[in-house]
Amino acid sequence: MIGPEFEDVLRAAAGGDEEAFGRLWRDLQPRLLRYFRVVSPAVAEDLASETWLGVIRGINRFRGNEPAFRAWVFTIARHELLDWRRRAARRATEDLPANGLLEQAAPDDPAASALEYLSTQAALAEVATLPPDQAEAIVLRVVAGLGVDRVAAIMDKRPGTVRVLTHRGLRRLAERLGSDQIRGVV
Amino acid sequence: MPRSPANPDADPLALDDETLERLLTGELSPAQAPPGYAEVAALLAATAAPPTPDELAGQAAALAELRAATRPRRAVVGFRRAAAPRRRRVGLVAAALVGALAMGGVAAAATGNVPAPLRDAARSIMATVGGAAPAPPGSRTAPGPTPASAGQAPGSTGPGTGAAGSGPGSTAAGTAPGLDNEGLCKAYLAGQGAEQGAKLDATAFQALAELAGGRDKIASYCERLLPGGDKPKKDKKPPPPPPDDPGQGQGGAAGQPQEGPPVTTGAGGQGQRAPGASPPGR
Repeated sequence: MIGPEFEDVLRAAAGGDEEAFGRLWRDLQPRLLRYFRVVSPAVAEDLASETWLGVIRGINRFRGNEPAFRAWVFTIARHELLDWRRRAARRATEDLPANGLLEQAAPDDPAASALEYLSTQAALAEVATLPPDQAEAIVLRVVAGLGVDRVAAIMDKRPGTVRVLTHRGLRRLAERLGSDQIRGVV
Repeated sequence: MPRSPANPDADPLALDDETLERLLTGELSPAQAPPGYAEVAALLAATAAPPTPDELAGQAAALAELRAATRPRRAVVGFRRAAAPRRRRVGLVAAALVGALAMGGVAAAATGNVPAPLRDAARSIMATVGGAAPAPPGSRTAPGPTPASAGQAPGSTGPGTGAAGSGPGSTAAGTAPGLDNEGLCKAYLAGQGAEQGAKLDATAFQALAELAGGRDKIASYCERLLPGGDKPKKDKKPPPPPPDDPGQGQGGAAGQPQEGPPVTTGAGGQGQRAPGASPPGR
């Protein structure tokens, strides 16, 4: 997040100022990469680069505050994703580790110390094993930091649907990872 | 919507809307998460952890793209808008002439007993096509507005759909704490200088204090977090915006915001008259 300076930074970046654009890039690129690592891991970096080309093309015409800008960037990202899906013969799932986190946490560790072993990549891989819409909704909410209404617009769904997707996704993760005392009905 | 506590007999992992929201925004730490969700809360926090060096590795390439795109792009922007209105006018004139042609041809329309607007339209069509428009008897000028200007749709654009823009309830706070640390620290450091007073609000300050391990540790935490030389430059003036900025639309919606007014043929069909119907008198 850029914060209070955002509008100045945006204007400068749109005018070609490289330091300003660099700040936007550093704020958004990790989020874009993580988004694509969940929804299209084999081409995450390529699609992130394509997204930035779209941002550069349109940044002069963008009007809005920081959350709106972030939502706009992820709208471009989603278009790249959909284009890629249409072009790709099949989804690339070979990059995902089979068990995600479960390999990393020692099975008899108490939950508290198992949490120390979580790495970002392992966590993303775990999310990526969810059904695609659930995974995407969670990443847009948590990693892109967008609110329900904006995620709904990006995914072309209703806000209520997005809520259901995230709820189901988190619930599924809890079933897989949750400590033994409380388990959902499988 | 009234919330009832999750019935443990029904589904111990069910989440009410508020708890779901707080988990997704990172407001609930593993210790604060509902039963069964501690690991999930930790997982979500891990997905939003601060950027790693390899995630920031492509910056130079991105700036090169910016340089490559910025210069030539500006030269193109001005041209497209000029073309559209002319195209639209010709379309309207052509449509309005259908009735006149039904009554005996363009030349007749240019000189004959038809309403002035149609006569002018006929003349302009002939001029475009290259024929000399016959001089009207008595050399009257056209008093009324031509269909072209009357029917011309206003050149303003509708605003962008804004579908992805401001949802009324959407508080996209962007509270992925790891990724937002840089912003929080910048705001904190700016406030410390008390120059432009970009102060943190209470909850943000508290979050930063937690991350740093104490309020007195925030300063050193932020010094370590921000990359070298990336301190907020409060007195740096950004360059002025480009002069040919169309200044329209809201970027909230499509990935490729449209440029220029939408080209429509406006009142394209309205010039049509049933054969045999007499044209309205002037």
